[in-house]
Amino acid sequence: MAETPKIRVPKTAKKGDVIEIKTLLPHIMESGQRKDREGKVIPRKIINKFAVEFNGKPVFSTTIEPAVAANPYLQFFAKVDESGTFKFSWTDDDGSVTTAEEKITVS
Amino acid sequence: MRHLSRRAALALGAGSAAIALVGWSKSASATPQAAAADIAKFTGGAKPETGKISIELPEIAENGNTVPLSISVDAPMTSADYVSDVLVVAEGNPNPGVATFHFTPLSGKAEASTRIRLATTQNIVVVAKTSGGKYFTASKLVKVTIGGCGG
Amino acid sequence: MRAGILAAVAIGIFVAAGLSEANAQAKRPTPLDTGPSASMSPWKRYPGWPAADYSKYNTLGNLASAPAPKEPIKLTGPVEGDAAKGAKLVADRRRGGSCLACHVMGPAGNADLPGNVAPDLSEIGNAGREDEWLYNYVFDARVYNPETVMPPWGSHGFFTDAEIRDMVAFLKTLKAPAVFKTALDNPEKRPQPIEKRDNLDPLENPGMWAVEKGQELWKVKTTAGFSCNTCHSDPASSFKTWAATMPKWEPRLNKVLGVEEFVTRHAKATTGDTWLMETDNNRAMSVYLHFLANGTPIKVDTESAEAKAAIARGVELTKRKVGALNMACTDCHGIAVNKWIRGQWMGEPKGQYDHFPTWRTSLLAVWDIRQRFQWCSVNIRGNELPPDSKEYGDLELYLASQNEGLKMSVPGIRH
Repeated sequence: MAETPKIRVPKTAKKGDVIEIKTLLPHIMESGQRKDREGKVIPRKIINKFAVEFNGKPVFSTTIEPAVAANPYLQFFAKVDESGTFKFSWTDDDGSVTTAEEKITVS
Repeated sequence: MRHLSRRAALALGAGSAAIALVGWSKSASATPQAAAADIAKFTGGAKPETGKISIELPEIAENGNTVPLSISVDAPMTSADYVSDVLVVAEGNPNPGVATFHFTPLSGKAEASTRIRLATTQNIVVVAKTSGGKYFTASKLVKVTIGGCGG
Repeated sequence: MRAGILAAVAIGIFVAAGLSEANAQAKRPTPLDTGPSASMSPWKRYPGWPAADYSKYNTLGNLASAPAPKEPIKLTGPVEGDAAKGAKLVADRRRGGSCLACHVMGPAGNADLPGNVAPDLSEIGNAGREDEWLYNYVFDARVYNPETVMPPWGSHGFFTDAEIRDMVAFLKTLKAPAVFKTALDNPEKRPQPIEKRDNLDPLENPGMWAVEKGQELWKVKTTAGFSCNTCHSDPASSFKTWAATMPKWEPRLNKVLGVEEFVTRHAKATTGDTWLMETDNNRAMSVYLHFLANGTPIKVDTESAEAKAAIARGVELTKRKVGALNMACTDCHGIAVNKWIRGQWMGEPKGQYDHFPTWRTSLLAVWDIRQRFQWCSVNIRGNELPPDSKEYGDLELYLASQNEGLKMSVPGIRH
């Protein structure tokens, strides 16, 4: 079941502004390094990629390793020259992808 | 029966039983050499110059499970000259890789923050690649403290 | 006739007083289940915690530790130990946390982040102490100082006679100040950690998700058709201060109830929900109820005779030596305040309550105050009590009274 990401994007901005975006996806980020009580390695299951597009164009992405903490958090910036939609995606080791969108009005 | 959403269950610790170190086993750890090998792969063997990068990390982390990391690279971020990729490696984790940030001119700034796991006191090394094919590097030591009288 | 007049007068007074719903509720006791237990019964320690049984030692609930020896052990000759083995033992965290938790000890453990609760022993080898004195100080320092914070390493079986001799041999080699690799390693120069994350930002604090869960649970009806919302339809205004007045003496149970136990017992008596203490629904509800009181200064009842007695008992409990490490609350949260226990900064009691339940970054979990009490006990190698124990109630009321005036800010973030 996909978790609901938490995303913070300003609702409005001025043309040419560089805006700050914060995102967080609730996820355990099982590192593949831990052992259970029987001493068996708990298989790795992490979010391995995060990507952001604005109106279809790539803005920022991250290749993620198990050393990123649980509930992966990313803060970054985007330069906006027009109104539009940010599309966020988180790719899990199991192949599932969690997506979300946020709109911004640029004047 | 009322079931917690997985999200809330995560927040409450999924039963809240765990006391074991959440992120890592304490077994094998990477070495500065392994980290250097990752960097060499990233740069294609080129030797990065020092500078242009600032790293924000706490000097002391009371635990290594969620250590805030911010990196920022001094760059114009125009389509002619921007930082395209930033590699972060940890010299003392089970594996050196932490994350690679990929920027575009639409990023506006070559700046990003995340939260990372550190198995022990160690150096974090950051390497940035520019659109012109240049490499820069910086590093910072984080002391991960050992708490109290827990054995 | 007379009774009728009295009744009329009484009604008149009610009307004149403009009786609010809250006042009406205050007249009639809040429904509470008064059964024997509000938590898992019998209580079982968390599976991830150390499983050892410490019933040979005092807990906050009973006295079991053997009395301290009266006299030092007489040694027949000088201590012939292996200093190299001793150097390893003093830094071995598996053996009661290691001497470095409290002492700087020259090169021991590479002088990596030692604590400064107790004297720096880096030059103890120059102090002219006799072997017997050093031996007994490690074995059981109470023979020299009955109030010592030093655990009785020998009497309580952490180290054998031979191991203590090795440690003494090592202590005798310590003749020069410790050399620290970085300034941070020196506990006298290490900066105090300052928590400045915004604990009420869900992007910073996953504990905030428990608030959402609590809100959700508030309106979920039991099969009988009741929810919290049935009686409390505007929690944001009716619970604006409540959690800041808890814990509180409860005469029907003859003990102090905190928010968590209150939730268990009130839910059972009203909606019929079983929200045992230290289970996820109880934690979520506790976080939510505390959250509603955020910004309200803590003000618990410290004036009633029952509260005064409970606080007095709580104060006594904070002084009780507990567990195999034989430590009292006041050892760490009194004597060691504003010092380092290894890499852990000890804060004063004021400021240790206003953020509970709190998100723990080291565990990725929300802990309430009773779970924190339990972990303290287990950490000093003592058996914990069930979360609903009356002793924890007394302790919590005392702690809350020490935090009076601090504004509630829940869920907090701690390491």
